[in-house]
Order: sequence, then C-alpha cells, then structure tokens
Amino acid sequence: MSATETHVERPTAPAPGGGGDKKKQPSGLMTLLTSNAARSSLTPLVFLAVFTYYGIWLGGTFLNVDARMLDVHQNVPVILVGLAVMVSLLGGHFDLSAAATTSLTTFLAIGLSTKNGMPFILSLVVCVVAGIIVGLVNGILVVRFRMNSFIATLGTSGAVLGVSNVYSGGTQLVPDPAGPQLPGWFVGAGSMGSFQEKVPLAVTVVAAVVLAVLVLRGLVNRRPERFTAQAWYGVLGALVVVVALVYVALDGTTLLRSFSWTIAVMVVVAILLRVALRSTVFGRNLQATGSNSEAARLAGVKTDRTTVASFVIGGAIAAVAGVILAAGQGAASPDGAATFALPAFGAAFLSTVIFSNGRYTVPGSIAGGIFVVWVSQGLIVGGVPFTWSSIVNGLVLVAAVAISTASTRSR
Amino acid sequence: MIAEEGGAATLDSSSRHLAGAPSLRVSSLRKSFGSNEVLGGIDLLIEPGEFVGLMGANGAGKSTLIKILAGLYTRSSGDIQVGGRSVSSLAESSEVAFIHQDLGLVDDMTILENLMLGRKVGRGGVLMDRGAERAEAERALSFVKLDHSASTLVRELSPGEKALVAIARSMGEGASLLFVDEATSTLPPAEASQVLEALADVVKRGGTVVMVTHKLSEILDSTGRIVMLIDGQVAADRSTTNLDRAALVELLASHDQAGSAASERGRPHPVGDQAIVTATGVSGGKLSGMSLGLRRGEVLGVTGVPGSGLYDLAFLMHGLQRPSRGTVSADPGIKRALVPPHRETQGGFNNLHVKDNIGISALHRWRRRDRLIDAGREKRESLKLIQDLDVRPLSLAASFGTLSGGNKQKVVFGRVLADDPDVLVLCEPTRGVDVQTRAALYELILDLRDAGKAVLIVTSDAEDLFAVCDQVSVVADGELGSFKPVNTLTTEDMEALL
Repeated sequence: MSATETHVERPTAPAPGGGGDKKKQPSGLMTLLTSNAARSSLTPLVFLAVFTYYGIWLGGTFLNVDARMLDVHQNVPVILVGLAVMVSLLGGHFDLSAAATTSLTTFLAIGLSTKNGMPFILSLVVCVVAGIIVGLVNGILVVRFRMNSFIATLGTSGAVLGVSNVYSGGTQLVPDPAGPQLPGWFVGAGSMGSFQEKVPLAVTVVAAVVLAVLVLRGLVNRRPERFTAQAWYGVLGALVVVVALVYVALDGTTLLRSFSWTIAVMVVVAILLRVALRSTVFGRNLQATGSNSEAARLAGVKTDRTTVASFVIGGAIAAVAGVILAAGQGAASPDGAATFALPAFGAAFLSTVIFSNGRYTVPGSIAGGIFVVWVSQGLIVGGVPFTWSSIVNGLVLVAAVAISTASTRSR
Repeated sequence: MIAEEGGAATLDSSSRHLAGAPSLRVSSLRKSFGSNEVLGGIDLLIEPGEFVGLMGANGAGKSTLIKILAGLYTRSSGDIQVGGRSVSSLAESSEVAFIHQDLGLVDDMTILENLMLGRKVGRGGVLMDRGAERAEAERALSFVKLDHSASTLVRELSPGEKALVAIARSMGEGASLLFVDEATSTLPPAEASQVLEALADVVKRGGTVVMVTHKLSEILDSTGRIVMLIDGQVAADRSTTNLDRAALVELLASHDQAGSAASERGRPHPVGDQAIVTATGVSGGKLSGMSLGLRRGEVLGVTGVPGSGLYDLAFLMHGLQRPSRGTVSADPGIKRALVPPHRETQGGFNNLHVKDNIGISALHRWRRRDRLIDAGREKRESLKLIQDLDVRPLSLAASFGTLSGGNKQKVVFGRVLADDPDVLVLCEPTRGVDVQTRAALYELILDLRDAGKAVLIVTSDAEDLFAVCDQVSVVADGELGSFKPVNTLTTEDMEALL
C-alpha cells in the first residue's frame, strides 16, 4: 500500500507561533496535532471541555441523562429544521423559508382534523405535501427565474407565514374541548409527543448495535491513506474499547432507555437523509452542484433538477418538523417556530466543523444542534435567566465556527 | 503593502526608468507538507534587470516556491533576502509584486478603479481625489501598451489585456521585481506575446521579472535565464543564449523516464464509415450554418480565436447546448463526454476529493440493485483510473483544488473516461500543462482513437492539431471551414490562420 502514500497533499498547518523558522522536520506528534482529523475534532473537543466544566460546576443537575435527553426531545423540531436547511446549503442555496414551513404545518397538523374535520392521517399527508409544494416553489424560483435563493426564500417565507396567519386568524390554535380531538397516540400523556413515552429498550439496543456495526464498517472502508490496514484496525479496535468503556462508565443503558418516540423520528429521518446524500447519485450530484455548479453541469449533472429536488426534500423535512412540534405541544402558536432560523442554520453550519473538513454533514448538524442547546441549557441550570439563551446561541455559534475556521485557515 | 506606497510612487512620475530593483537571494529553502518534502533546499540568486523563466513539471515545486515568496505558505527552513535584508516573505516589500494566474482584477470595475484598488492618492481625507487618481492611472498605464480608456470595464477586455492591466497595477504601485505565475499559459499566442512584450519592457527599464511558464517558445524568445525545478530541486540554472529548442526539450525530458512524445500519429487505424454524431446546418451561439460528422476511430481538430464561436461548436456537438437552427443527431445509445475549456472555473470541484471529481459522471454505473452507490467498486475503479493516468499525488482523498494544473487536467480526463463514452469532445486538452503531461495526454487520445472512439478536439493551441488530429479545420467569424488532412498543412499555414 506504500505506493499510495507517496504524496500526502492537503498541506498541513505549520506549528502555531511562527514555526517557519524551525530548522527541523515536524515531529510525528506535531503532524498528528495539525492533521485534518485533529483540526476537524477541535470544535467537538471545545464543546466537550465546556460540558466538563459544567459537570464540575453544576454536578448532577447538569450531568443528568434524563434532563439532557429532555433538552434533545424538546429541540427535535429545531434540529429537523437544521437538517432541512442543510440539504439546500449542500447544493449552494439558502432556504430561509424552512422555519415558516414548520409554522404552517404545525397549524395544519393541529387544525385540519380538529377544525376542518379531515381524517387525522390524511392531515399529516397534507402537511408533508404542503412542505413539498413550498420546496417546489422555492426550487422553481431559483432555477427557472434565476433568483438569488436568499431573496426568493425570504419571499416565500413571508408568504407561507401569511398563509398560516390567515388560516389561524393570527392567534393560537387550540383544539376546541367540545369538538373533535387529536388522536391520543399523537398528543398528550402517553403519546409520541410525550417525553415520558420511551422506545422499548429492546428496540433501541438492536438499533444501536446495527448502527454501530454500520458505522464501524464505514470507518473500515474510510481508512486514511497514511495508515496501513493493520494500524487502522488497531485504531478502530481501540475506538471500540473506548466506546465500550464510556458506555459502562456513563451507564449507557440509561441513555438507551431515554429515547422518546420523537427522538426516534429524528434519528430515522437523519439516517434516511444521510443515505440519500452520501450513497445515491442524487446526493453526489447535489454535492457537486454546491461545489461548482458550472463544472457539474458540464460534467453532465442535471443541476437544475438536483437543485429543485434539494428544496423539495428540505421542505418535506421542515414539514415533518412542524408535525413533531404539534405533537409535542398539542397546540399551534404563530411564534412557535419563529425563533428556529438561527439555531437551525447554526446547527447546519456547525456541521462543517464537527468531524468534517468544511462540508455539511447530517450527523454533524444533529450534534451541532444538540451541543448548542446544552451549552445554553447549562447556563440556565446554573442560574442565568432563560431570556439570555438567544444571546448565548448566537455567541456560541459564532465562536465555534470562528475557532474552527481559523484552525483550518493557515497552511 | 499597497496602502501607504502610493504617495511615494507618484514622486517620480516623470521618470519612466525604474529605481534599481532589489536583488533576491534564496538559500537552502525547504518546505514540507506533513511528511512530504516539496522543496528540498532551493538556492537562487536573482540580480536586478534579469528576465528569468521558471520551469518544471507539474508538482515540481514552482507554485510552492512562489507561494512561500508571496507569504501564502510558511517555509520549513532556509533564508530569503531582499536587497541584503533577511525577510520571512516578500509580501511586505513594496518593490515586489506577484501576478498570479487569476490576475486578481475585479471584472465589474473600470481599469482605473482596478489600478487604484486598495490605494489612496492625492490629497488626504476620506474622499477620493479624482484628478490625482486619473494622473496616477495614466502613469501606471504608461508601462504597458493598452488601447483602452481608463474608464473601460475590465469585463470588456480580452484575457491578454487584463494581464496588461495587472502588470500596470503592479508597476504603478512601485514594483520593480515582478513574479508572474503562468499569466500567459491560458492565452492565445497573439495575446501572450503582447504580455511578454510588456514584461520585456519592464526588464528594459531596469526591472526584474521572474515568470513561471510551460511554454518553451516563451523561455527561448523572451527570457535571459532559465531555472528548472525537478522534484523540489534546482535541476538547471543557465542563460538562454545558445540554448535551442531541442536542447531545452532534452533538458526538460532528461528527468522523464517515459520519454517519447506522441510521434505515432500516422500509425494506421480504422475509421468508421458512418458518422455517429451528425450536425446539419446547425446555428447556435456565435456559430452559424455548421455541418459536421464525427466518426469512430477519427480525431478531428478545430481551431480558431476564442470568441469566434469555437467553444459553441464543442458544446453543440456534445449536446449540452441546443442549436437555434438545424439539428445535431447522435446514434441511439451513443454517450458523449466533454472536457471543458476553462479548467480552473469549469473543470472540477475544488473542495471535493479527487474521488468525487472522477466519479461524478459515472455514478450511475456503480449503482447496486438497491439504487445505492457501491462504495467499494467506486473506490476501486477510481483508483485504477488515477493510477493509469499517473495522477500525483496518487490519492483519492486529496482535494482537487490542491492539485497542480496538469494533474487537475488528468483528473478531468479521468472523469470523462470513467463513463466510457463513445464520443469525446476535448476543449483545450493541453492548456497550461507541462511537457510530460502533454505527451501523456496525446498518447491517451491516440489510444482512445484506436479503441474506436470518435474524438473532437477544439483548441487554440496548434500543437494539439499536429500531434493527434487526422483532419483539421478553422472557425472564423462563426463559420466552420472545410476539413483538411493534417499532413497536408504546415505550421506556417496554421500560424497564418491564427
């Protein structure tokens, strides 16, 4: 395999602090520290440090699996919107209408069956179709009318919010206690929207094992060229041991017991999206279009069709986010998803610096979304008023992306 | 570097002779990326008034050297001295300017605004002094021969004229030592010679020019000294007097184990009877009334001045561009592939891996029954392609953007080959690549022809026509001339046409 190691390009950064005048070759340790792998794990490490600090400062009130999983549960709609905007970002376009789509479908999921007498399952289908239509409009505006996606989706965002305002009369929508109700499996205690209702342990264990095997198999195939096969198996073996130790030390079974159905929906959407983006022709075409659409077109990629599809998929995911929000709250309010845009785009952008060298990834978006929530939640647990969380969100986002970008900048 | 120098430079606006250029001394300069040494101890002394041509194969370290001098990369060890002072790079020296391949001009601004970018001349305060700016722009433009008013948008200039503006800007800022990185490599001959003339003029006035180039004729005709890098070392450093073309080729090829250039054009090969792609009475873009048929086993060459509809012809025959009149018909099941003319902007995906660049047109071939891409097969077949094409580094995980020009071109060819097309439309196949890569690409094109592919080469480089084409023609003013067997033409014929 040595033939493939002749030329490791991707120049690595020199040692910080003007290593330029050093007379010797960089040491092995230095090479490792400045490698892409190390740089792409800088952001996760910074988050880990913050959480460790929280753990020491706040102890059990922060390091509490149930409480932290509740944070995740409550933020599933935001994270899903993050995935929605990530799809079009991958293709080089902004979708500012995703949060508005989520608002609209929250109203539709609550209202169509309770107010308009539509069968509930059908109303869920209508929600997803609504998301697809918004995506289609966005895509056509960008592709056919050559509009800048920023302004096009800002426009559709306004229109979509307007539609949900008209539908709701501009107020909160709560099912009339005297009228038809939402099904018990959807909202309220004991439903999929409730955090108390967990996926059975057997299911999560099987899913976790299957996922672990798939990830491991993926890692085996993605051996960096400077590792020999043997060394790489060694690294992976060590990784398995570390994960197992962490599992035992941190009582991973408790974690596996605390997956609500809402979180399960997010995981399923994420897995489907990851497969679609990485292992289908569409996903690769989207990535190429986002990287250089002219080159992609000349290489035979149907860039217009790909771009429209990315908006449609984003719209559908944003619609699912609205349904999940409805399930969690049992009611819809005009400002329900209004604050989603910042943390959603934040999650998507963080994915470019979480175990990734500048590319949007699905696992990174989810991790980024969860990390930011935990950072602000820790402050709230520590006594900072929750009204500050928006400031914290913004600062964390800017700081994390700045640190990571700075570390990848120098050569 | 730019901001504060404007005032000082205007002082000698009457004098067209440059103040003495500084000498540059580079000693034992080394650079490693990780464990990979790219420059292995470069020693170089460049005196004022020299015109130096810097040559070397793709990946030999030319660009790395320039980038270190420009302060974009940090050296691993070694010393750089300007006019006797040790410096970490030349970025802060006002006497030194770098002109990169992309020139760094803003298309949507006028020549004047481009010349004044980042500078402030005339009276103090926050407002611009229009009069002083105009005078300063005129002074800068006096260094080159440009027939445009300073209020012309840069967008409207030809690529060669843009290069002249870039030179004028550097000179206007008071530079006397110019580094020019392949600014001529993508220019048609007539425009390239304009640029070379301007550079020679700089040298005549006492300035120093270091020019990176792949073109042998530029080294021979313009420069006074050649420095050749091979594998990060100075392999040759000599005056160009008494150096003829043959000697230079020998010097360049001395390191090339593969050796032979494509000289087997004449080897017999069967040509299909029927055209598999036929254009009849086609108009589109700047082209009108074109008829053309591509046959298996034949290499057609078309040349002409860019802007004459040359690339329209390529896009029409490939099927990417729809004709406004007439039809382009291809036999059923015929696959057509394209190498686009502008590699840097149209060639590939800079932030994606080589693997993703190679595979983008062929992904559907690697799909399994479940419609997902077979990652193992993708990797195996992509690796085989870059091995066959001898792409350096031989790594599927390298970012396309970090490759040298010639290796990028090989990857673009790899992408075309991955889908196993029947028809190949190759625009500027050897633009900006070194001698070895050029020979390898010619060899590849002949192999494809012998394998029964139909090949259409659309190029502004006459050498492409002579190396591999069976029949050639010229596009002028949107009209395609008649095809003639290449062996009935002479170099003079073609040069007269261009």
